[in-house]
Amino acid sequence: MRSTSTAEADAPAVGAGAPAARRRGGHTWPGLAFVGPYLPFLVAFGVLPMLYALWLAFTDDAGGWAGFRNFTRTIGDYRFLPAFGHVLLYTGVWLGSLVVLVVGLTLLLHGRANRVSSAFRFLFYIPGALAGASSVLVWLFMLDPTVSPGSFLVRNVFGSHLFVESIAPGKLPFIFAMIAFWTGAGGWIVIMYGALNTIPQELEDAARIDGAGPVTIALRIKLPLIRKWIAYMVILSFATGTQLFVEPQLVNQASLGLVPDTWSANQLAFQLAFRYADFNAAAAVSVDLLAIGLIAAALIVTRTGLFRTDD
Amino acid sequence: MIQRRLWLVVVAAMAMAGCSTATNSPSSGANSPGKVGGDLTIWVDAARLPVAQAYAKAHPGVHADIVTFDGDGNGATTLQTKIQLWNRTGKGWPDVIFSEQVNDPVWMAQKPFDFAAPVKDLIPQDVLARWPASSTAQCTINGTQYCVQDNLAQVVLWVNKKLMDQFHYAVPKTWQEWASLGEKVAREHPGYIVGNIGDSFSHWIYLWGNQCPLSQVNGTSVQIAATDSHCTRVAGLLDPLIKNGTVPPLSVFTPDFAQKYGGADDKVLLMPGPSWYAQAVFDQALHMPAKQITAAPPLQWENETPVTTGQVGGGPWIMSRHSTNLTTAADFVTWATTEFNPSGAESRPGYPAYAPLATKWLEQQAANPYYAADPTPALKAAADQIWPGWNLVSYPDQPVWSTSVVTELVAGKPLSSLLEPFGKALKQAAQAAGYAVN
Repeated sequence: MRSTSTAEADAPAVGAGAPAARRRGGHTWPGLAFVGPYLPFLVAFGVLPMLYALWLAFTDDAGGWAGFRNFTRTIGDYRFLPAFGHVLLYTGVWLGSLVVLVVGLTLLLHGRANRVSSAFRFLFYIPGALAGASSVLVWLFMLDPTVSPGSFLVRNVFGSHLFVESIAPGKLPFIFAMIAFWTGAGGWIVIMYGALNTIPQELEDAARIDGAGPVTIALRIKLPLIRKWIAYMVILSFATGTQLFVEPQLVNQASLGLVPDTWSANQLAFQLAFRYADFNAAAAVSVDLLAIGLIAAALIVTRTGLFRTDD
Repeated sequence: MIQRRLWLVVVAAMAMAGCSTATNSPSSGANSPGKVGGDLTIWVDAARLPVAQAYAKAHPGVHADIVTFDGDGNGATTLQTKIQLWNRTGKGWPDVIFSEQVNDPVWMAQKPFDFAAPVKDLIPQDVLARWPASSTAQCTINGTQYCVQDNLAQVVLWVNKKLMDQFHYAVPKTWQEWASLGEKVAREHPGYIVGNIGDSFSHWIYLWGNQCPLSQVNGTSVQIAATDSHCTRVAGLLDPLIKNGTVPPLSVFTPDFAQKYGGADDKVLLMPGPSWYAQAVFDQALHMPAKQITAAPPLQWENETPVTTGQVGGGPWIMSRHSTNLTTAADFVTWATTEFNPSGAESRPGYPAYAPLATKWLEQQAANPYYAADPTPALKAAADQIWPGWNLVSYPDQPVWSTSVVTELVAGKPLSSLLEPFGKALKQAAQAAGYAVN
């Protein structure tokens, strides 16, 4: 278990920010003052639980050293591979749509007149106001052809004439990806828009004088300059995605058990801990998730130069 | 983010359990042993809320804290996770729990849960003796009785007498007659149904009743034989009916079902289902008008005797071994199972398990104007016909049925092809729960 809620706290600097701010030393105190209030929470709810999970994952229920036994045991569990398969498919679909659509929409909006673009940014942001559990409940109605305001779409695009067909096992990763996309996309569009605003106007003007059209400017000038922001979005979203819990848990109850209560990896960890009292196995699954998140983050950071300060 | 997500789940769970109500009667202070009164925390499902509220009203000396929860229905693991949490924190256990899942006492009585208190010294032996032997057996784990069942949930054949008369059909007595009527209905009155198979408990109706050996416990091993002829022959009988639409793979509790088959022009002609269907399904969920429905005896397989039937429910009351007020807990459980019997629309939803109360309840039901004809002879006969070859196990089999069979039926696969994967999934669930499978 770890905290990924540092989103706004350590957002990367973009473009030609003031070089002075990047110089190490001399600015320690203001930095600490900003980070200070967050640190105790990070330690209490992020670092310590993670260390506890690590300790649990490598010990048995009597507290003795277990090596990798908890890991081999959970990987052998018949629910392990399906759960991780579901989560990875979901995360792939969601991240793909998030990157393509969020960046695409933001670039489109950034080329528009200010009033139009702010109206659209607001529109995209609205679904995000329905956070987590409540958005799932709304989507459950949206996906039920008998009550959905978009029943025409549910019937003809999804081909679902009954609610049970809407939540058929093969459709679930896509359904959850859609729910997550609409709750998160608006916020990211606003952030990306902010990132695009940091690009100096002169760059755009120079490109235009050189004969670049709006598409070339968007793809050749703007996109490379917000690359770090995209990487940052992917890292945070990857962690959130692999930790999927609320959506399948609620759909499990709403579908009267048609969706298994171990659909996602996090649910499996929850069930192992609180149904089988096997906290060590649950911790092993959490550590698996932590490892996957860390590896993905490391890959993205090294590939995109996220923390490189002098480019 | 994970913290936020878990926090949201907690909020959602609290919202679901949010109907927590407490009576305003003054607390009688410390819980004194041997005397009825004091604080009593009761966890019930929505259907058992009236009995808890009625008890609190009738006993002003008891300060009842009533919490409603999902009832552990449809194979949920709410109670397992809750009890694990209480056990870990060492506090918070309710005094009494009602569970919709008849097998819950099995794991509640054992490690690592160790929640249930033996009822032997809490409820007098002469009272306990008046539960049917089969009911007591389901509450007895390793030789000790840990619960009393609220109701019996024997499966009967529910009949829409008005429609059957209108269509000039005779009420079937065997599964074969029922199936051929299903074929006939599909031809002559398409859109009408003779049953359904989309519930998380449909296997208890069709497979339990027909002696399919999916849950035969012997010590710590369980026998699961999903491809036994008792199972395959039922699947073979059902498949044409699922295909022709007279036995749809839909749950009776879904809005889709109510819309398609419920209401004033209801399309339910016949429906094998448990004793509590009359009130909970036909009246409250489907809003079927009065003077239509009645019960017929359970269906027989060809001419095989004895006739056996399934069971859907038989929810138990369980008292907590951690309770500091077991006297009041026992008083409440006794009152709820042996005395509480309002009439009319508030009447008990299910067939009372306690025999003397069942007699009174049957008298009431015989005079209940909702029925088209007296359902009580069929209900009474079925009470003794539940197949005893299906033992209760510590893992819920409902989610296994739902995820491995119902979702596939919805996708158009025949039941006959799903028995093997169902058996395999049941074996995995049994092994994960610590059973040896053969």
